[in-house]
Amino acid sequence: MRVPLGWLRDYVHFDLAPDALAERLTLLGFEVKGLERWGAEWRNVVVGELLTVEKHPRADRLSLTTVRVGPGEPLQIVCGARNIAPGQRVPVALPGALLPGNRAIERTEKMGIVSNGMLCSGDELRLSVDGEGILILPADTIVGTALTDLYGDWVLDVDVKPNRGDALCLVGLAREVAAATGGVARFPVVALREDGPPIGDVLGVTVEDPELCPRFVARRVDGVRVAPSPEHVQRRLLAAGMRPVSNVVDATNFVMLELGKPTHAFDAACVARDASGRAVLVVRTARDGERLETLDHVARTLTPDTLLIADADGPLAIAGVMGGAASEVGAATQDVIIESAVFDPVSIRRTAFRYALRSEASLRFEKGQESRLARIGADRVAELIVAWSGGRAASGRVDTDPDESAPARVGYRPARVDRLLGTDLGPEAQAALLARVGIGTEPSMPGSEIVIAAGSMPLSVHAAPGEARDAVVPSWRRDILVEADLAEEVVRLAGYETVVGKTPDTAMPHVRPNPLELRDALRAALAGAGLTEVVTPALVAPGQAAALGWPVLAADGVAGEIAIDGPAVTVTNPLSERHSVLRSGLVGSLLDVLALNERHGRGDVAIFEVGKGYAKAPDGAPAEWWRLGLLLAGSSGAPAWNRPARPYDLDDAKGIVELLARVLSRSEPVWSPYTDGAPLHPGRAARATAPGSLAGIVGELHPSVLATWDLRTERVLVAELAIRGLSAGQLPPVRVTPVGRAQPAERDLALVVAEGVPAADLAATLRSAAGERLRELALFDIYRGAPLAPGEKSLAWRVVFAADERVLADDEVDAEVARLISAAVAAHGARLRS
Amino acid sequence: MDLATLTGQLRALRDEALPRIGAAPDLAALEELDVAYLGRKGGALSGLMRGIGQLPPEDRPRVGLLVNEVREAVEGALANARERAAGAALAGRLVAETVDVTTPGRPVARGSLHPIQETIGRIAEIFGQFGFVSYEGPEIESDATNFRMLNIPPDHPARDLWDTLYVDIDGGLLRTHTSPGQIRVMHAETPPIRALLPGRCFRYEAVDAAHASEFFQVEGLMVDEGTTLADLRGLLDEFAHAMFGAGRATRFRPGYYPFTEPSVAFDVGCLVCGGSGCPACGRTGWMTILGAGMVHPVVLQYGGIDPERFQGFAFGMGVERIAMLRHGIADVRIFLDNDLRFLEQFR
Repeated sequence: MRVPLGWLRDYVHFDLAPDALAERLTLLGFEVKGLERWGAEWRNVVVGELLTVEKHPRADRLSLTTVRVGPGEPLQIVCGARNIAPGQRVPVALPGALLPGNRAIERTEKMGIVSNGMLCSGDELRLSVDGEGILILPADTIVGTALTDLYGDWVLDVDVKPNRGDALCLVGLAREVAAATGGVARFPVVALREDGPPIGDVLGVTVEDPELCPRFVARRVDGVRVAPSPEHVQRRLLAAGMRPVSNVVDATNFVMLELGKPTHAFDAACVARDASGRAVLVVRTARDGERLETLDHVARTLTPDTLLIADADGPLAIAGVMGGAASEVGAATQDVIIESAVFDPVSIRRTAFRYALRSEASLRFEKGQESRLARIGADRVAELIVAWSGGRAASGRVDTDPDESAPARVGYRPARVDRLLGTDLGPEAQAALLARVGIGTEPSMPGSEIVIAAGSMPLSVHAAPGEARDAVVPSWRRDILVEADLAEEVVRLAGYETVVGKTPDTAMPHVRPNPLELRDALRAALAGAGLTEVVTPALVAPGQAAALGWPVLAADGVAGEIAIDGPAVTVTNPLSERHSVLRSGLVGSLLDVLALNERHGRGDVAIFEVGKGYAKAPDGAPAEWWRLGLLLAGSSGAPAWNRPARPYDLDDAKGIVELLARVLSRSEPVWSPYTDGAPLHPGRAARATAPGSLAGIVGELHPSVLATWDLRTERVLVAELAIRGLSAGQLPPVRVTPVGRAQPAERDLALVVAEGVPAADLAATLRSAAGERLRELALFDIYRGAPLAPGEKSLAWRVVFAADERVLADDEVDAEVARLISAAVAAHGARLRS
Repeated sequence: MDLATLTGQLRALRDEALPRIGAAPDLAALEELDVAYLGRKGGALSGLMRGIGQLPPEDRPRVGLLVNEVREAVEGALANARERAAGAALAGRLVAETVDVTTPGRPVARGSLHPIQETIGRIAEIFGQFGFVSYEGPEIESDATNFRMLNIPPDHPARDLWDTLYVDIDGGLLRTHTSPGQIRVMHAETPPIRALLPGRCFRYEAVDAAHASEFFQVEGLMVDEGTTLADLRGLLDEFAHAMFGAGRATRFRPGYYPFTEPSVAFDVGCLVCGGSGCPACGRTGWMTILGAGMVHPVVLQYGGIDPERFQGFAFGMGVERIAMLRHGIADVRIFLDNDLRFLEQFR
């Protein structure tokens, strides 16, 4: 809320510089987001006296003036306005001036005559909405005064939190300033002369739905003259960020800003009369299909739960949200009906959202309104209309519920307040603090109820004798409902800075396993291996999953990390189509990252992400699961002058997956061909399985996918893995195998097999044929070509055997190797390469 | 062959060998001389030793002594010369192996953690020293868990604080904050509770330099019988000092959240100007880094905790905000862009 300090001073006295006041308000919970020098824009604009006004010799519509702005020579200025005359005081923009909107004023020539500046309208200075005539200043204004000194002000932009609707106005903030400075806030005194007819003769109100409209107060002022508001009123409204409209409408806006009370003025001529000639307003919900053209000139079809102000002929206004165009106060209006009501906050909020009409009024209504303000608001608006527009106020007011309830009493226990805050204030100091915002305190009745929690989870206890006090809460403080609210009020007024911090010395919880331990270990391992971690948006374009075709792996072998191959979860109110669906996997996002970096000329990309996939389960419930994705493209390793660049290939990706399997379970994953096609190169895709710990797909992307993503690179390696414990898990401790003292025996073994025999199958055969003495089995070479026949390949293995405590004899090792060879012969038709 | 001849020949051999050994240019020449003089079969000394057998037996020991003397002299000379030659050879090799030491080293591949994750890790490490352990909750929440159980009823004006993305699941929405995790932790644990809840959040928020529609938060929760606002202040001061430096000024002021009462905004002295006031801090000298407060009794009850017996505090911070302040980052959009030119600065 914009708070012009000159206006605020009407309600409270303070001896603080604007920035000091801003800090005090911030520390009181009313954060000042901005401090603006209103009028700082009027550089080089001064008060001038018109000495002469003559017709421009060459232009009928221009005047030639001389203006005195100080002791020097009068200035000759050409002006287009008609409302000027000698002797008037006017704002003069001198050459070099800069007006609002960055409008620079220079010495110019107009129709052959030099103009040394410009006479300004109120609109040009944003001092009023009058753009027609020059702003005529009071006759006693001192010539030569800078306009900033005359009308400048400081304006605070105060962030009023949703629970403090009472402070969404100048009087409310004045109360806070008073609490901060020890001063006294002054409520405006309403002095309304009621010399019109009795209200009952000219106005009637029927509230059909008192639940939605607990109080409706109305007044009537007849014989007004609708015109612009007085200039000082326009100045205040503009400084507060509100555009002046007319003296009647401005009166309602002025009171809204002053008291926080939204009201509405109807043109009484547009309200239907009953048989006795009284205008009669009806407060009711809309009937199906009813229509209303609102003030913004949009014709709206109303829904049945919309609360209306209507008359016998139909809707006049959407209650608390926006008036109707037909009953709008305009230049021809003579008689005005003032509505000042209390509406149900939830109803107003829903209605404002439904019609996308969140107005200054609805914002205040939806925070709840103090009942008392309905009466005061009506009186104040009527007073201001009479003062600014003339007219005679009808005597008395229509009021559907004049009983203003007694202040609320909220019980609290001073010791509990100190216990919550960690302070040692005691009952008297607390009471003194509360008194600063008008909260009185009294000893409670014995056994009185202390409300701990309200709302959807209420809880009350009975206070022990002498333990509790009652806070007597002013009617405007609708936010104070439970004991903790008073604790906040106490510490707020004492100053949060008075709470002396200490390190917690209460009991420590037991040690708990860190659910992120395993995930963090894998992330550290991948970063250590040269991959860069990325974090990408979970919301993706709806077509992404189809464009990629990556399978959602149920990952049965990896306990606790199940994914759902179900419909995507879609955002129903997305900010953009590009981010409207929760992704089912990570690979598409990694491709987006590659594409972005390629566009920046960066083709060497090695990245990973640990993130979630999402889908709807068959029962419609949301499912989320963790996956690890990685992508390699371009050259492996950092390029350097002394190392030739080598493009990433499938083995690089597999090596990384093997690293992960080692970190996870000290095991090697088993590779098998992945043949389900989809987004992968049909000959370069593998399923990785490390039973119980890891499962996923590693492969080179199909060239058609690269085209879809508009990628320049020829090959992209990707993997997506389900990993046990990725959602929450720890790494198992390493279990050590004793290191044998005897020297192991190492042999090389080259086996020739058909091309179609996967190395992993041969390895499995060798492994199962070997006895417990096998320590290592590693593929170290693959050879194709002469003297092998076409369609043959030679796989060379290094095998290491050892016994625990002795060196193996040559014939023992020979026997081990022979067993491997015969197993390979039997299973795969292998032969030993000589 | 007589004694005199033989001894003369032996001395001549020695006198010839020693200068030649001294003058040998390298190890290979020394090897040749070794063979020529001391070789078992064709060596000059062996040749002369054959003459010993022709001497009278009484002369033989004297000649034997001389042979040994000559051999030792030659062997000694060879050893010295070899040592010299080896030293010279080594020196030569080392000179030949000289490289330009000013060229860059061969790079060691090292990746990096994303600054969001790195910052979460740093936050967890600091609070971990106070016994806080991480927990996680789902990102697809419901109106009940994201709002109602946090004391934000339907149609409450405070809902304006969280513009929400809704999903096509009945009552489902993308969590707007990590606060729903408070309820889950309270149900999973019994006091004393000290929990952190890092994770991804979503808001219906137009993206600009300061706002993202996807972002990360870390929530903290501590509940026990005597946990107070003063404990919160003390803990947050420790956090601010660990994260932003021991001398960093801090400020505690009122905030507003429906799920805490009292609510707190926590500021640190501006990291750009140090507190004198600059555009980065809106000329206030302060930067807000997190929101906090004492857990509202309604929320404690939804967590199954008796608010008469237990009380506690919660805090929530934007990870990007902390990372931006810590690393001097001006635009929040850079985090989810994943431009490697940005990310690799964290290697």
